[in-house]
Amino acid sequence: MRSPETYFKIRKLKNSLFHLVVLISAICVMAPLFIVVAFLLQKGASGFNLDFFTNIPKPVGEIGGGMKHAIIGTMIMVSLASLIAIPIGLLGGIFLSEFGKGKIATLLRFATDLLTGVPSIVIGIFGYLLVVIPFKSFSALAGALSLSLIILPIVIRSTEEILKLIPNHYREAGLALGLPRWKMILFIIVKGHLSQLFTGIILAISRAAGETAPLLFTAFGSLYLSYNVKAPMASLPVQIYNYAISPYKDWQSQAWTGAFVLITLVLGLNLFARTVFGIKKLRRK
Amino acid sequence: MNQDIILDVKDLNAWFGNFHAVKSISKSYKKNTINAIIGPSGCGKSTYLRCLNRIHEEVPGAKVSGEAIIDGQNIFDPKADPVEVRRKIGMVFQKPNPFPAMSIYENVVIGLKLQGIKKKSFLLEQAENCLRKAALWDEVKDKLNKDGMSLSGGQQQRLCIARTLAVNPPVVLMDEPTSALDPIASAKIEDLMSELKKEYTVIVVTHNMQQAARISDYTSFFVLGELIEHNLSSEIFTRPKMKQTEDYITGRFG
Repeated sequence: MRSPETYFKIRKLKNSLFHLVVLISAICVMAPLFIVVAFLLQKGASGFNLDFFTNIPKPVGEIGGGMKHAIIGTMIMVSLASLIAIPIGLLGGIFLSEFGKGKIATLLRFATDLLTGVPSIVIGIFGYLLVVIPFKSFSALAGALSLSLIILPIVIRSTEEILKLIPNHYREAGLALGLPRWKMILFIIVKGHLSQLFTGIILAISRAAGETAPLLFTAFGSLYLSYNVKAPMASLPVQIYNYAISPYKDWQSQAWTGAFVLITLVLGLNLFARTVFGIKKLRRK
Repeated sequence: MNQDIILDVKDLNAWFGNFHAVKSISKSYKKNTINAIIGPSGCGKSTYLRCLNRIHEEVPGAKVSGEAIIDGQNIFDPKADPVEVRRKIGMVFQKPNPFPAMSIYENVVIGLKLQGIKKKSFLLEQAENCLRKAALWDEVKDKLNKDGMSLSGGQQQRLCIARTLAVNPPVVLMDEPTSALDPIASAKIEDLMSELKKEYTVIVVTHNMQQAARISDYTSFFVLGELIEHNLSSEIFTRPKMKQTEDYITGRFG
């Protein structure tokens, strides 16, 4: 017979052991992020100055220059992609959550899941076939279209998930006021949860902002500042890729700085989405 | 037809899939009365109530048959528009559910606004009017722009009542409106219901027999989807005719 104290100690020990395992797992999850950020900070911070944001690349051999063109290019293409994907994504998500029975819904859900899983390089090839070949030119438009295919499934599924969490009695209360279904959905259900829906949208945008592969054969990249959506356009990820594989020390160091700027942008958008919009959680179940 | 009858239910049946939840209920409701529905859990009283403004059909697999006539029109007629029906027959739910991200004022006028009424002065007037009817005006008049969710549970339920009254339905259904509230908040809602009867006809499902006895003019007793007994509340709680009713109200069953 073991004494009650021994049992107590064994129980405590098991508990601490489990705590330890969980804690180690949590650290394993977080560590890569911190290591990446720390690494980028160390390598990229030296080139992080105003010039980087206000200059475009200098000719080969000249030291200096920045990535203004790529930052602006990323902004233009991500904005265009959002413009295409967000309205469709929101409406698709509303369809799935509010009317999502039957064959069309099952098919849409399946297609959305597949689209999420399509490798981004394949999406780039799709943009190439659909826009670049017919127009006989790489273009920002083709890049934006490819990025919109990255954003679209994320927005559809996050919209569906968020709307599905809303208890049904809100819908019934809206209908009980004598409102047509579409008004109830738009002005009570959707409007009442805009902040949560924005969170999903911003996460999708930040995902697209960091994509390289869909842009390689579509927007292609450029060394000049361009606002023409029918012409090739630079983007941060592609610029980083091109500079990183170049043989020049100066370009390589700029690639580090570019990576640092990109990850700051993506993390910033994420944090923004989670803090500003994330505070208002679904308050009632 | 008797002029006093506002809602006439005839042979109403309701199903969830194959489950026959409400069995052949016929009953007419007089204008300006409070009608309580009591009965053990699962007896179909909420389902019956939800049929009356066609919210029951929102549940997948739900079906209804029979008639319920208001203003000479059968609400289950294939040509009847559920949206129109619900403007005549409003509903207050068990859980207080002010709409999220809307102020107190917006919650009250949302029904009118979405019906296309834009005139600010009219909306303001209606908001005050309905909040007064719901006995909430004095508590919220200085904070109409605060979030509806910031109110206490009892206040939220009165806000939901004000919201229902704003579209001015002659009949108001209430599905256990006080079961999520404490006794003091419940008492306020009960007082309010007695006031409402001057202008509206109220049909209320309740688990609380004292409440039914206190506030209602008529009481229906349901068991397993059937209407066992219906009478003046003063009669049913003092001289029930059916043995089952007596057993239930005295606490021997249910």
